Amino acid sequence: MSYREKIAWLSLIAMAVAYGPYFMFVARDPAPWEPLPHLHPLGLFALVSIVRMLILGAGYLYLRLGSPREERPPLDERDRAIEHRSISAAYYVLIAGMILVGCFMPFSSTGWTIVNAAIFWIVAAEVVHYGVVVASYRVQAS
Amino acid sequence: MMQGSISNRIRTLRFMNGEMSQAELGQRIGLTRQTIAAIEAGKYSPSLEAAFRIAQVFNVPLGEVFQWDATAAPLKAS
Repeated sequence: MSYREKIAWLSLIAMAVAYGPYFMFVARDPAPWEPLPHLHPLGLFALVSIVRMLILGAGYLYLRLGSPREERPPLDERDRAIEHRSISAAYYVLIAGMILVGCFMPFSSTGWTIVNAAIFWIVAAEVVHYGVVVASYRVQAS
Repeated sequence: MMQGSISNRIRTLRFMNGEMSQAELGQRIGLTRQTIAAIEAGKYSPSLEAAFRIAQVFNVPLGEVFQWDATAAPLKAS
């Protein structure tokens, strides 16, 4: 498995560990989330983001120390093609989500429901980004 | 879907050039070992520039490295 594929896996795992419980929490119990500018939920989101940063930081450090320099070459044309393809796929997810959140949800929802929906679509786009990276490396390696 | 796929003789040419490793070939043309492996396996079609560079390393015309088979099924991943 290449260094870049490991980094993509790490990013997916960090996202699942941090944002998975967050979205399960807000989906299960949205009622206490008062309308804006109630800022208390920001604390929870900040905590989740810090957890993600810590996982990413520790993971990067572990992978970097465990991989000799020759296993971490600069991007080549295949890496760039995979990156381009994954960002294109993520863009469509992000734009669809933002249209939903920005153009339709204001007519049916308020406050933190809209904010969390926006966060959800950003995370979904990132998951698609790294998911396509992992899938591309897997398909071309098998 | 359009028919046709690219095959290559990189493995043979590496063997004929002193069993050159994938890593060494990659290093000489600015690609990673994994990319050379993917090209060899037909999982990735290189850019025209990379294809010419590979041919240059082996000192052969491009057509001796890559061949186009118009009747073959297309590549699944490129």
